[in-house]
Amino acid sequence: MIHFQDVTKYYDTNTALKNITLSFEKGEMAFITGPSGAGKTTLLRLIYAAELPDSGKITIAQWETDKLDGSTIPLLRRNTGIVFQDFRLLFNKNVFDNVALSLRVRNISEKETKDEVLAALRMVNLRHKTDAFPSSLSGGEQQRVVIARAIVGDPTILLADEPTGNLDPDTATGIMNIFKEINARGTTALIATHNRELFKNTGKRVIKIDGGAMTGEEKG
Amino acid sequence: MLTIAMGLLVMTLVVLFIFNVDLFTKKLPEKFSVVAYMKEGIPEADLQNILAALKKNRSVEKVRYISKTEAFRELRSTMRDADYILEGLDENPLSASIEIRLKREAVAPESVISFVSDVKKMPGVDDVQYGEKFLTSIHSIKMGVQTVGFALTAIMTAGIIFICYSTVKILFYRRKEEIETLKLLGATRGFIRAPFLVEGGIIGIIGAGMSLATILVFYQGIFKKLTVAAPLFTAVVFPPEVIIFLPAAGLFLGVTGALIAIGRIRF
Repeated sequence: MIHFQDVTKYYDTNTALKNITLSFEKGEMAFITGPSGAGKTTLLRLIYAAELPDSGKITIAQWETDKLDGSTIPLLRRNTGIVFQDFRLLFNKNVFDNVALSLRVRNISEKETKDEVLAALRMVNLRHKTDAFPSSLSGGEQQRVVIARAIVGDPTILLADEPTGNLDPDTATGIMNIFKEINARGTTALIATHNRELFKNTGKRVIKIDGGAMTGEEKG
Repeated sequence: MLTIAMGLLVMTLVVLFIFNVDLFTKKLPEKFSVVAYMKEGIPEADLQNILAALKKNRSVEKVRYISKTEAFRELRSTMRDADYILEGLDENPLSASIEIRLKREAVAPESVISFVSDVKKMPGVDDVQYGEKFLTSIHSIKMGVQTVGFALTAIMTAGIIFICYSTVKILFYRRKEEIETLKLLGATRGFIRAPFLVEGGIIGIIGAGMSLATILVFYQGIFKKLTVAAPLFTAVVFPPEVIIFLPAAGLFLGVTGALIAIGRIRF
């Protein structure tokens, strides 16, 4: 499903990732862990083509990311739900419209959009905040809106960058349960986190990176 | 918005002015004619040849032969109150002539000059007269108005596009974060561009609406009253197409400005 072949990425003279060779199977759930600045976010950004590798090749389903252009990048991203570390919520739109954006960019009918958005908000326990604006929500609630936006419309791939960074342990467990549920429906889920509690006893693959290089792999 | 309205207003007034000058000069040929005077005692065959040649000429709309007798009769009727002046004449001093009315498209000075020189060469023709200075000055005025008008229209067009461009560019920068998020969620270029094009179009149409309202108020409220007081203004025409043309121009210029402002969207 996702394959990295000898991928290296530089930011100016700094090496963000070096010689990464890595594969994720369709429907797999895996964790990418490492300290801050290890390269976790860069690895995810390479998957949704926000960055291109300086060398090596990345294949996502049928797409090679370096061969994508303005017309095919949107297709890849529509199949990828992303939980951004910096949320990327639109503060001039309410919760409903923020979540609905994921479906509106795909030109899905308003009726279907409404049903799916409400279902996603129910899943993250924010159904009662539909009309609220992000500025009136707590950090944890904002994070759950981002998760709702990522899972709405059942993406093929789910990428989450520090998805529980602002959450208390109970809510974090709830969010992990949502990811497991989405994964159980067949979505490939990759979660970048430095929180070991998230993958402890999950039995899922944990990829360790540090200084841009893979340093090991274990079962959570 | 006001600046766009002002720009479109000036542009429309310029276009209306050119339109009216053009209309006025098009009416001139109806009053403009060339008169060819015949030599004394021209043989009938030569006269018929001249008439036939003129009728065949592509520049000629209408030909009218005025014999010596007819010319004298016309002169007498013109000088109705002072025809005693003509009493002392022993013989008719006037020449026979041909009044030639040219087609509209043949009234440009160069074609008239070349036509007149052809007519002068015809055997039996003594002299040819036409309003040379009048024709040349009207033509120069027309060309001058057109040139200035086109230059002004071009400047206004560029100005309006630039205003729409900068307005949309500001909106675009304000929404930069939102656009980035839309791109990451899988929006296509068309999806991102559409609201800006609509905004550009709306800005252009509202500007055009304001300028149209000003023109209509001016024309209906002030101009029509002026025509009663000064009949000279009745000659000025306000074509109804302006009502469609202005919003269409506003829409086009607004969308063009927006398109330039957004530029190429990179992923």
